[in-house]
Amino acid sequence: MEKTFDFEQVGKRMPYDVPNDFFDKFEENMMVEVKSRRSKKPLRIALSSILAVAAAIALFFVMQPLLPKSNVDDFESVELAFNNLSTDDQDFLIQVYEDEDILMNDFEFNP
Amino acid sequence: MMTNDKDIIYAMREDAERGFRLLMLSYKEPLYWHIRRLVVSHDDAQDAAQEAFIRIFRSFGQYNEANSLRAWIFRIATNEALRLIDRRREDPISIDKVLDTEVDSYVNYDDLETVRLQNAILSLPPKQQLAFNLRYYDEMDYDEIAQIADTTAASVKASYYVAKEKIIKFMTSND
Repeated sequence: MEKTFDFEQVGKRMPYDVPNDFFDKFEENMMVEVKSRRSKKPLRIALSSILAVAAAIALFFVMQPLLPKSNVDDFESVELAFNNLSTDDQDFLIQVYEDEDILMNDFEFNP
Repeated sequence: MMTNDKDIIYAMREDAERGFRLLMLSYKEPLYWHIRRLVVSHDDAQDAAQEAFIRIFRSFGQYNEANSLRAWIFRIATNEALRLIDRRREDPISIDKVLDTEVDSYVNYDDLETVRLQNAILSLPPKQQLAFNLRYYDEMDYDEIAQIADTTAASVKASYYVAKEKIIKFMTSND
């Protein structure tokens, strides 16, 4: 007769064992591990934020000489500011710049 | 008090520490035993379980509630166990080897039938081992096992039946 094996004889029994209180200690160790990881997190975030800002500032200064100068914007803002002045102040400024031989039109044609 | 997976998910989102304690309460033992059946040695099972729980805690934000939490957790644990097995690929696992190498192996060699059954399971390819263990010991359905093993329910079912036949053959031919 062909031999067979009855799983029910063994059931879910296993030959494996664990040290005393293993699962309680394991849980406590895991909770300590998780708490320590969480407490390190804000510091890591703060540090990475500071580094990101520092990198952005450094990049700005490194890239600044390479960026195209926008004289048109400068000119428009100066013109806007000039138009907001009173007539007396405008006359005064025209006199000052005429004396120094600097004409606004120079900026426009010689960017 | 039994905690269900919905409570764990809610608690993890509200207060990760409290949620993780609930998760540990429900899963520390089944996850440890699942890993232990794959890696055999207690020390290895402890290491892999620890790595798995840390990974679960760290990546909980990536868990998709459309899938079973148990399957997601067991998948992470399975990957940790397989990673550990892969690291020592040149040295196949058997209970007898654990007895030779570990002073305190936490294996009861007196229960011959259970030792033989574990050796039979360990002689199977990983896919069949996984299908058999999760079905036989954890009583999971084929769909859930398929999520863990990243395959189809039909493939898991086939693996389980082939595994069962091989185990019967092993148990009856190695008296």
